[in-house]
Amino acid sequence: MQLSSGSWTIVALMVISSLVLFFWPIPHRSGESFWTFTLDHDLIYEPVIGKWNAGEPDAGQHVTAYVIDKQPLLQRLQSGFLSGTPLPNMAEVEISMAPTFFSGPLSAVGWTDLTGVIHREGLDQRIDPASFSPWTNRGHIFGLPHDVHPVLLAYRSDIVEAAGIDVSTIQTWTDFVRVMKPLMHGPDGPRYLLNVWETNQQDMEILMLQAGGGFFDADLKPVLNSDINAQVLARIATWIAGPGCICTNAPDFDASGNNMFQSGQVLCYLMPDWMSGVWMKDLPGLSGKLKLMPLPAWAPGGLRTSVMGGTMLGISKSANFAQSWAFAKYLYLNHDVARELYRRTGIITPVRDFWSDPIYDQPNPYFSGQPSGRLYIQMADKVPARTSSPFKPDAVVAVTDALIRLKRYAQDTGTYDETLLTLQAHRELARAQTEIERRMAANAFLTAANP
Amino acid sequence: MNDDPAARRRRRRNAAAQFATYATLVVFAVMTLIPFAWLVCASIKEQSVFFRYQFLPLGDGCLGLDWHELTLDYYRELFTSANFNFARSILNSIFYASTTAALSTLFCAMGGYALAKFRFRGRETLTLLVFGCLLVPGALLLAPTYQLLYQLGLLDSYAGLILPSIAPAFGVYLFRQSMLHSIPSDLLEAARIDGCGEWRIFFTIVIPLVRPMIGAFLLITFLGCWNNFIGPQIIIQTPEKYPLAVEIAQLKGLYSINYGMLMAGTLISIAPVMVLFLFLQKEFIAGLTSGAVKG
Amino acid sequence: MNRSLGSARWMPYLLLAPFLLVFTVFLVYPLYRSAVLACSQTFGPTRHVWVGFDNFLNMARDPDFWTALKNTAIFTAASVLIQLPLALGLALILNRPGLRGRAIFRLIFFMPSLVGLVFVAMMFGLMLDEHDGLVNVLLRAVIPHFPGEFPWLEHYVMASLILASLWIYAGFNMVYFLAALQSVNQDSLDAAAIDGANVWQRFIYVIMPEIRPVLGFVVLLSVIGSLQLFELPFVMLSGAGPENSGLTMVMYLYEKGFQHNDLGFASAIGWTLTILLVGIALAQRRLTRHE
Repeated sequence: MQLSSGSWTIVALMVISSLVLFFWPIPHRSGESFWTFTLDHDLIYEPVIGKWNAGEPDAGQHVTAYVIDKQPLLQRLQSGFLSGTPLPNMAEVEISMAPTFFSGPLSAVGWTDLTGVIHREGLDQRIDPASFSPWTNRGHIFGLPHDVHPVLLAYRSDIVEAAGIDVSTIQTWTDFVRVMKPLMHGPDGPRYLLNVWETNQQDMEILMLQAGGGFFDADLKPVLNSDINAQVLARIATWIAGPGCICTNAPDFDASGNNMFQSGQVLCYLMPDWMSGVWMKDLPGLSGKLKLMPLPAWAPGGLRTSVMGGTMLGISKSANFAQSWAFAKYLYLNHDVARELYRRTGIITPVRDFWSDPIYDQPNPYFSGQPSGRLYIQMADKVPARTSSPFKPDAVVAVTDALIRLKRYAQDTGTYDETLLTLQAHRELARAQTEIERRMAANAFLTAANP
Repeated sequence: MNDDPAARRRRRRNAAAQFATYATLVVFAVMTLIPFAWLVCASIKEQSVFFRYQFLPLGDGCLGLDWHELTLDYYRELFTSANFNFARSILNSIFYASTTAALSTLFCAMGGYALAKFRFRGRETLTLLVFGCLLVPGALLLAPTYQLLYQLGLLDSYAGLILPSIAPAFGVYLFRQSMLHSIPSDLLEAARIDGCGEWRIFFTIVIPLVRPMIGAFLLITFLGCWNNFIGPQIIIQTPEKYPLAVEIAQLKGLYSINYGMLMAGTLISIAPVMVLFLFLQKEFIAGLTSGAVKG
Repeated sequence: MNRSLGSARWMPYLLLAPFLLVFTVFLVYPLYRSAVLACSQTFGPTRHVWVGFDNFLNMARDPDFWTALKNTAIFTAASVLIQLPLALGLALILNRPGLRGRAIFRLIFFMPSLVGLVFVAMMFGLMLDEHDGLVNVLLRAVIPHFPGEFPWLEHYVMASLILASLWIYAGFNMVYFLAALQSVNQDSLDAAAIDGANVWQRFIYVIMPEIRPVLGFVVLLSVIGSLQLFELPFVMLSGAGPENSGLTMVMYLYEKGFQHNDLGFASAIGWTLTILLVGIALAQRRLTRHE
């Protein structure tokens, strides 16, 4: 034996595995490929895609859907766009992933420019305009929006009403804290009003956008250090620390966080429409105990909703546009799909034509009989627009870090006065702004004139 | 037989030391093995009892366990679900790891032999070059390798994954050191005088003499490739070509709360290597440490 | 005689040919390219712009870089200062004469190092769960006043990483130390014992000098490995972790190169890492040569 048995094993493995692989070909996918990133969508789309395929005599136009986790989805799209590795014809992309596609020259964006065809076919009239905003970069629309995602406040109606509180008296956030505070002394221990937290980037963004703040202006320039942003951060700081603390850390999509909602330790929640669907699935024990109301405004008469999340459908440049566009419209402008989407996930369609559908008026037992769809739709056209800047994720992190520093400042110095905190927030936001400006200046492709 | 108190004290001290030694070792051994035990249990527990019982769910069944809460469904799901190609990725990993191991061992053994046992022009420079590259971190080469593979059209291919890994400087270093010490030049001379061809010398004399190092290096390389994540993650884009490490990591995103399934997948991924190691244990450890101990 | 001499002359080149071919194409050439890339900014593998040293300047101005550097340095220091003494200690215990079951213990301790970092990250990601994870449950059972819910993965990220890597590598390093200890000259030890040296003195004056080369080697290996930490935090924390507390140099490189598509910037990070590594290796050589 020249080699040990183990060594021969490895050699044998090599021979056998190469033979097997040689004879086990990778299935060539004919037809259209469509990538999505959540199993939910896959379930909803399955019957619709089935109908599409049944109506298509040409097998080359049949669509197959694949579910891929967000991180590898993004990486494979990037690799495909830039290095020619396999790409899908269409893909659903989530708002957190989209910006990276826009961080190079406009000509390098791998999605087909849909601006022309959307205007021509009048889709910009049929679909709520704000929902195009995250997918519109430098004046060009690169995706068909999947949703509009208004945000409402969900609250434990069983506990709130049992305490005799009338939520219609709540107009602003100040009202909210004043009216709900007595509930914080629960029978089984402390209760909290919200799960806003310095690590909860989503809630921070919801509140900022609701107040009229934001990250970038229409020209994609950073506007982090605005008065509104500073005021919002200061207010949040008083909510998450100090004597006025009304929040606790109950993370989303987390078993322990869910327990806290279930047990009533957290009483209210900033709920986008898609989250209502998630709760209906993950927290069935709360059925009949929740109700929805418009977000308390920042100022009397102010905006009572916000926006969070978003998905678009993009068509890659390598696809046959006509086929893919036909399918994209079939899926996203389909009345049945809109209804099914609402039924399964609570998400309301961005297509305004469908907003009058009676399905949205049906009482939702989860929300104690309220017509949850209608409540969201009432806010849908007021939803604020969002930026498509490739630096938005960096900006969100920078502002979150500013909030974290602000909270630490408040705790270390014992300062909880809002005016003083606003001043400090300005300082922290100025730092965040500088950071983002520095990053933007470092990008050689975007600073070149007219990329 | 000295039965005086001093000797008795010494014996008691020795016994105490013995006890302490074994106790320490057992404690550490248990701490080392607990995660493995946990892994096995986690892969067969139902979701509802996953966190309630750390190991196996207790109940009224035989052996004091609740057999209703144990399931092999996760394993079944992994191999049959259409959402991932588990069986295929196992095969991919086997192919990738064994091929890289075999080829790199061959190339490095040949190269190490040349550097150790021959005198030729440029030998010192070459040795220095190879030794210098020992310190290059793999991360440095990620970006240009990606670019190179793109230019060669080898992205998203098995070749693109295997080729860059079959000429590791580390291998030539190991084999050179090993051959310098374990192959007497007189033996080679004698063989040559006997009229033995060079290739015959290599395969019939040299290779058997470095058998332990070969076994060790094969396993080291196999292990490295089996567990390699960052390279395949970047180079391979077609799901059917994913090796296990990448497939499992992606599972985590989609099935983040389906802990049992994730653990079942993890168990399947580490089992083959453990088995292989049992075969090559002695050689592995001997080969690994020979390079270090002798400097 | 002539035939064997003739083939012997070509032999080394023939033997080296396959290795050299692949080595040049896939190591030397990319190494050269990485230097060029480090001075460019790219968007994918096709678009590039020469930016001179701007990448390094931007890197130095990026707080994320310093976070990554700090995290990597802390982890490396912990690996050397915590893990290695533990490994050495275990090796010393295991080396006691007349110990039974040495092979089994050695096997058990070595096993974790076979598990890939990705898989360890999956396991420990669950075991370190704040509320119901195995680690907290065990600690609560053993330590009387242990806080109910210890947020390993939220606030003690570095500790989590160190704990996981301790589990993986302590046994691996122990094997090296054990082999070194077993080759220590028994006569010197006996002579020292006769001269009246106690256990500690025997350790310092006889054992340490003899295992110094292995010690140096293991330290270097440990440092090289720790500086390149990536998979463990990447999979355990699904990224850089809260406040980038799990961001390491290689993860920073990966994010910039393959999620933001700037291969040039990634190469600049790679070179910084390399310079760091070479610096440490040279320093180590100088230290050992002084002895």
